[in-house]
Amino acid sequence: MELEYAVEFHHVSKIYALKSKDNKYVEDKMFYALKDINFKICKGEVVGILGTNGSGKSTMSLLLSEICGYDEGEMIVNGEQALIAINTGLNQQLTGEENIELKGALLGLPKHRVEELKQGVIEFAEIGDFLYQPVKKYSSGMKSRLGFSINLCLNPDILIVDEALSVGDKGFANKCLKKMNELKEEGKTIIFISHSLPQVRKFCDTAMWIEGGMLIEYGDIDEVCDHYGDYVKYYNNLSKKEQKIERDRKFEKRIIPNLKRSFMDKFFAAIKTR
Amino acid sequence: MFKSMKYVLKENKDNLYRIYSISKYELLADMRDSKLGLFWNFANPAIQVLTYWFMFGIVWNKSSVDGIKYLPWMLGGMVVWFFISPCITNGCNAVFSKTNVITKMKFPVSILPLTVILKELFNHACLMIILVVIFAGYGIFPSYHWLGLIYYLLCAIIFATSLSLTTSVLNMLARDTRKLVLACMRLLLYLTPVLWDINSGNLAKHKLIVRIIKMNPIYYIVQGYRDCFFYHYGFLHYWKSALAFWVITFALFALGSYIMCRFKDKFADLI
Repeated sequence: MELEYAVEFHHVSKIYALKSKDNKYVEDKMFYALKDINFKICKGEVVGILGTNGSGKSTMSLLLSEICGYDEGEMIVNGEQALIAINTGLNQQLTGEENIELKGALLGLPKHRVEELKQGVIEFAEIGDFLYQPVKKYSSGMKSRLGFSINLCLNPDILIVDEALSVGDKGFANKCLKKMNELKEEGKTIIFISHSLPQVRKFCDTAMWIEGGMLIEYGDIDEVCDHYGDYVKYYNNLSKKEQKIERDRKFEKRIIPNLKRSFMDKFFAAIKTR
Repeated sequence: MFKSMKYVLKENKDNLYRIYSISKYELLADMRDSKLGLFWNFANPAIQVLTYWFMFGIVWNKSSVDGIKYLPWMLGGMVVWFFISPCITNGCNAVFSKTNVITKMKFPVSILPLTVILKELFNHACLMIILVVIFAGYGIFPSYHWLGLIYYLLCAIIFATSLSLTTSVLNMLARDTRKLVLACMRLLLYLTPVLWDINSGNLAKHKLIVRIIKMNPIYYIVQGYRDCFFYHYGFLHYWKSALAFWVITFALFALGSYIMCRFKDKFADLI
């Protein structure tokens, strides 16, 4: 096998049901969070995902880590993924150390692997004795450090980083980038979701630009970054009214007015819009 | 339908170690929360047994059932009730209580009911130790008949898992499920002949009610435990109840796996 793909998306869409203003049952109003996404990510590639707020980046990260399912199309993932998000899903009541143990238990890791993980995190997170304090007493920077370190030390095949670097200070961010570079050398696939252009430019090989739930461009890092940068500039230069028109245009495209749905889907939508 | 059952079975089989380590962790976390730790695993059921014994054994003076002293007779059934009841109530919450896990990482959701039940199994073992001590006081000692307990315990585990599979998914769709289950459990304690004998009192006259009660899967397990302790009639004596038990359990498991597979990708959206 010469070229193996870590992730393949074939016409993948993710649909959410929309609630109307008065919270009544709305039939047949659905919203594309992601629409008809097609791409293939090679193994060992470092991809940056760019996009403005609400363009579907985080939905993308949920799909990539197989936390939630998709509604249309087909997705193939080869390898174990780990998601690193700002909100790392640490248990607030437990201490840092116990959180590591919990993670080990949830993944069903054997005892020696948990020990290894603990050592790795202690070394990497640099939070010292705070490891033995409940997480609720942590500062937000410490929380993200711990969450980040745990996932990084798990050594997954595919690492999905969802804007997690924006919380830590610069020193830690650099350390993370360095560690991720190491992982890169090892041939791990890294998917880096961010709207910080400089970080993406520095770190990624290729980039993907998602706008309004649709894949606009996927290719060489410089090209995509330039186009995205231009778009952001263009958007910011628009007057308020024009910005609103632009937003509405994008929003309209994502609405599905009349969709044939099976009974179970309707049942499901009814529960959600209740 | 069969595909989803196969899927759930496979996922549970593949993750046996994970199930074990999650329930171990949960158990340890529970113990760490309290100062006395393990003590409560024994004290809680012991106090409950005392309450019922005081009420029925002393106040209402139910001296003996079928020639067996009331306290051991009640305890023989109560011991498994104390296992099944928390299994059902906690099993209902199995998925919802793990919200922060299933929205943050890829996770085989269908193993969650079994982790809850495995955790309760430890408490059951604690209670069995109490039971052996009390029985010894009444002159009832373990015999080879007690080996049947393994079969009935397995029945209890399979039944509780199947039921939890269904209720835990329903609870994700509507939180009302848990409230309903909690209310039903209180009713079920008195509808199941745990504290009273099915052949005694006015009930024997109502043939239909007796028949319905005998269809109750929990009755089958409770009666099975008592059979192993006191009556020694053997498995075949209860074949009608057994049939009802396995049919109901199978139906629950089929339904549970079906809705589990139907919604497993959507839990993250449902919260």
